[in-house]
Formats: sequence, structure tokens, C-alpha cells
Amino acid sequence: MNNVIEVKNLVKEYKELKAIDNLSFEVHEGEILGLLGPNGSGKSTTINCVLSLLKTSKGSIKIFGEEMKPDSYEIKRKIGVIFQDVAVFDELTVYQNIDYFCGLYIQDKVTRKKYVQDAIELVGLQDFVKFYPKKLSGGLLRRLNIACGIAHKPKLIFLDEPTVAVDPQSRNNILDGIKKLRNDGATIVYTTHYMEEVEILCDRVIILDKGKILAQGTTEEVKELAKIDEKVTVEVNNLDSSYIEKIKQNSNVDEVTYTDGVLLVKYKEGKNNLVDMVEFLKKENIKYNKINSEKPTLNDVFLELTGKELRD
Amino acid sequence: MTVFKTFLQVLKKNKFIVIMYTVILLIFGNFSMQSNQSSTNFEASKPTVFIVNEDKEEGITKDFIKYIKEKCDMAEIENSKEAIDDALFYEDLSLAVYIPQDFGKDFMEGKKPEITIKKRDSYYGSLAEMLLQRYIKVATIYQKNIKNEDELVAKINETISKDIETEVTTKIDTSALTKAARYYNFSSYSFLACLIYIISLIISTFNEEKVQKRTTISSYNYKKFNRILLLGNSLYAFVLWILYVVMSFVFVGPTMASINGLLFIANSFIFVICATTLAFFIANFVKNKDSINGIVNVIGLGSSFLCGAFIPQEWLPETVKIIGHVFPTYYFITGNETIAKLEKFNIDTLMPVIVNAGIVIAFSVVFVILTNLVTKKRRKV
Repeated sequence: MNNVIEVKNLVKEYKELKAIDNLSFEVHEGEILGLLGPNGSGKSTTINCVLSLLKTSKGSIKIFGEEMKPDSYEIKRKIGVIFQDVAVFDELTVYQNIDYFCGLYIQDKVTRKKYVQDAIELVGLQDFVKFYPKKLSGGLLRRLNIACGIAHKPKLIFLDEPTVAVDPQSRNNILDGIKKLRNDGATIVYTTHYMEEVEILCDRVIILDKGKILAQGTTEEVKELAKIDEKVTVEVNNLDSSYIEKIKQNSNVDEVTYTDGVLLVKYKEGKNNLVDMVEFLKKENIKYNKINSEKPTLNDVFLELTGKELRD
Repeated sequence: MTVFKTFLQVLKKNKFIVIMYTVILLIFGNFSMQSNQSSTNFEASKPTVFIVNEDKEEGITKDFIKYIKEKCDMAEIENSKEAIDDALFYEDLSLAVYIPQDFGKDFMEGKKPEITIKKRDSYYGSLAEMLLQRYIKVATIYQKNIKNEDELVAKINETISKDIETEVTTKIDTSALTKAARYYNFSSYSFLACLIYIISLIISTFNEEKVQKRTTISSYNYKKFNRILLLGNSLYAFVLWILYVVMSFVFVGPTMASINGLLFIANSFIFVICATTLAFFIANFVKNKDSINGIVNVIGLGSSFLCGAFIPQEWLPETVKIIGHVFPTYYFITGNETIAKLEKFNIDTLMPVIVNAGIVIAFSVVFVILTNLVTKKRRKV
């Protein structure tokens, strides 16, 4: 598998602060790599270093097999970036904005016109081409932002939290668009702190915290890092503590908590944990409202690795 | 082409501000020229003089008094020291002249009798003194050879009247050239204000942090990007300059078609180039569009005051003039003042104009280099 990005021993220091600490990773051709981490974990700094927007303190960065420098215009030609903040001209219409940013890469008018049209269709802005950005809703603005970043049909796309503060309809539209880009052959680096998006979209995940990689692999591989295998939650009123002690006696159980009428049982292993729990409740004659079983999420992994939630 | 097209689109989107700013400054420029012109027109008003004559009013004394009355307005005040001092203090009087007893007799005998004057330290006081001295100088020169008083008076009047005729002829040209100089001196402010305002507005749009970041990561060469923006700005500056040149023909008249007029135009063209590069340099530091007005005032208005765009350079205090040397406007205005006084055109007379224009060009080169350095550094982060 070809590596589109190769980062080796990357360090970025701001005086005393080490924003990135000896980071090494690869991005494979055609994959969607999720860069997960809470705010301040070093996701954006990593991207800015990879794109040569920031000078690195140490380490090497190769994109498409060549060293990335501020004047690597040939490499830049193949890259598209969608930043977290909307970056468009208020003075230009939707069409003019996409055409301008596409024009920074594509000089041929006929090709550009087609590319701009494709980008508009991809993000679903056909009905808004003559609108100025100030007339667009937050979700539509995000879509415009994406269209401006991908109109030139880049082979490598960086998406920095593109779905922050967007409505569900726009979010679905954006996620569908990203899948389509990958299907068209683009390699995507996707930073977010929405783990559900990562699970839907990403082939591989890198979990970052304090500028260091805590874990990397496919989502399944990363989830295996979690100590628990299954979580069972039961909505039950006034549960006596003696029952909790009884549940703890099960050798498969790792942890039991009961707060605000919700019983949470984390299992290390076991194939019939949900059935066992239902039978236990029946046997003890405990009345419950709802019972649910879940596999561990990336957030659980992150919680275990760092002791904090991804969105903290 | 993409960047240039967008430059024009941004300009078009701001067309109301662009037109309003340009037209208002053009109107102010012409108002300023008119008011400057009337305030510096020496021919329209005369100094006010009071004569205390202790000699007999005959012969050369009589002619001298007649000459003063022709050249100056006579003050109607009491002949007393207090009244004269008061009139001088309250600016009712520019100069008081005391003609001593036996002035005419002593003068004819070549004794050089002393005329006492008392004047205000003002332009009119100096003008009155200069007028008096001119008569006495001419009279003193002829007195050495002409001993007949009537002949002497006739010769003095002949010379002075010729002198006046020559002066009047010169004044007609000087007046128009002075008017042109004032117009182009003020234009330095208009050019700076318009160019800094409009170019900053456009560049700050392109340099808006998020948009700039997107441009920086693109495959567009930053030097080419800067060149295209400079081209767009230059086009706007050129149109503005043409407008000012056309208006100078309208307001100043046919003098603009003379060599002096063409030199004014050429000098202003060089200054517009410099103002464009300066505006481009400044615009790279503008992060907030609301701050543009302040920058225009500090740099445009400030340098124009210090360099003599609104009042003639010779009226500026020395310290101000020294400070003014750090701005290109100073050399542009010095060039204009020199052009206004040019009567002969050869390499020697044109050299000061060329030197000043050369300094303005040197400033432009420095601004271009600085702009490239700043943008390059900014791209590297």
C-alpha cells in the first residue's frame, strides 16, 4: 500500500510548550484517516505542520514521496484543505468563491467551469450559486467552505472539523460528500472530536493527546484496547446496594455503577451478558424500564487511556 | 487572471465607497487650490503704511511719498507713538516710516540720510519694507550720477515703472504655476488617502486570516499573487491619476500644457507610483477594515501636513521640514515647488527636479522590497 503522507519524529515547540511530541504516522493511499483528540491535543498543529503552514522544530514530512516545503507547489496542487473556520470572500457569490479558490489551482477556464459545477453538486448548493455568504445559513456556509477546498479535485484532502455546529441535514450531506470523495479515489485526513463520525467514516484512527499518539489502527483495533468488551445499561428505580454486590460477583463483570436510576455494568468478556442480566433481574424480581447493550466506543478507549472524555 | 478578476469583483462590490472617496477628495483638492490661491495672491491686497514726514513734501521726498501711497494702503491713525504702536499690535498697520527732516536735501548731497521704520514681524511688514528699500536702492544708484533732483525723480520713476511691468508679466505665469503647484501639492494627500484607503480595503479582504491561509496552502505562487494584486492596485492608481491630471487642465487652464505643466504631470505620475507601493506595503499590515480610516489619517494626513501639502514648505518650521524628509511626499512637493519656479529648461535647472523624482522612485523600490519581504515571511510562519 502506497503512503501518501509519511511523518517521522515530528516535533513542534513553542518556547517551553511541546505542542507535538515526536509524532510518527503514515496515511495510506485511498483511506480516510481519522485524527481524534480533544481540543488542544495537537490535531490542528499537526495538520498545519504537514501543510508547511507552521515551521516544524524537528522531524520530516513527506507527501506523495517528496519532502513538503512552503514552496512545494507541485505537491500543493494535489492537496485540498477544509479548515474548521469558514474561509470565503463575503464580497463574492457562492459560485464566484468556488471559482476563485479553484482558479488558484486550475488555470484552464473550461476545466475549471466543470470542476466548479461538480463541487456545487457534490455539496448540494445548486440553488444558492448566486447567494452571497452572508445570506447563507451556518450549514450552507460549511458546505460552501468544503466546495472551495475540494473544487480542484485534490488527491489528498484535509478536513479539519468540518461538521462543527452544523444542522443534521447539512452534516449528513457533508458526510455523504466525504464518502463520495473517497470513492472517487481521494485520500482523506479527517480531524474531529465526534467519535461517531469517525466510526462511520474512517478506515483508520489516530488518537492524539498532548501532542502524542495514544493509539492508532482501524476502529476495531483501537476499540480492542479497551479493557471492557460490553456495556449493559438498565433503567431501574430504587435499586438496593445488595443487588449491586451480587452483580459484582459475576467473574465477567469489570465495573458496576448506579447513578440517577441508571445501572451501568461493564463486562470484560462473555458472550451472553445481556441475557444473563435479564435473567438476573427476573430472578430477583427487579422491575426495570429499559435495558440496553453496547460495545465499547472510541470514547471509552479514550477515557481509559487518558482518564478524560474526548469532548472535554 | 483569477486573482485579478477577483480583485475587480471586490473593487466592484466596494464601488460606492471607491467613488465616494475619490470624488470627495477631488472636490476638496480643488477647493484647497482655490483657497490657497487666494490666500497667497499678493497682488490683491497691499500692506498698510503710516508715514511720519518731518521733511518738506517736495522733490525726491514728495516722489518717495507718492510711490509709497501707490504701492501701499495708508493707515488713518493719529500721529503719536502710542497710536502707531497700538495699530501695529492690532495688525491695523504693517509698517510706519519716519522720514527725517532735510531728507531730500541730504539725499541729493549724497549724505545717505537714514529712514527709520517700525514694522510688524509679518509678511505684510516685510513686503512694505521691501517696497521702501527698492525705491531707496534705485534712488541711491542714480543719485551718484544725476545731481538734478527733477532728472533723478524722472529716472527713478522710469526704472521702477519698468520694473513693475516686468514683474506683472512674470506674475501672470507665476500665478498659474503657483496654482498648479498648490493643486499638485494637495494631490499628494488625495493620492495617499485614496490609494491607502482603497488598496487597504481590497488587500485586507485578500489577507483576511482564514482566506489568506487557504491561499497560502494553494499551489499559487505567492510572488505571482503579489504581482497581480500590485497590477490591480496600479490600474486603480492610474485611473485616479488620469482623473487628477484631467481635472488639473480644467482648474488650472492652458498653463498645464506648458513644459512646467508637463513636468508637474510627470512628477505626479512618479509620486502616484510611490504612493501605490506605499499603500500596498501598509495594506499588508491592515487586519481590521475598521482601522483603515485611522491609518489614512495618520499616514496620509500626517505626512501631508509635515511635508507641505496644505501650506507652502517655506512657511513650515525647520524642525517640521527635517521630519518631513523621511516621507516621499516631501520630495514630491519640493519637486513641484522647483517646477513652479522654472523659467529655463536645461540639465542644470532640471537637476533638482530629477533628483527629487529619483528619491521618490527610490522610496518606491524600498516599499516594493519591504512588501515582498513581509509577505514572504508571513507565508513561512
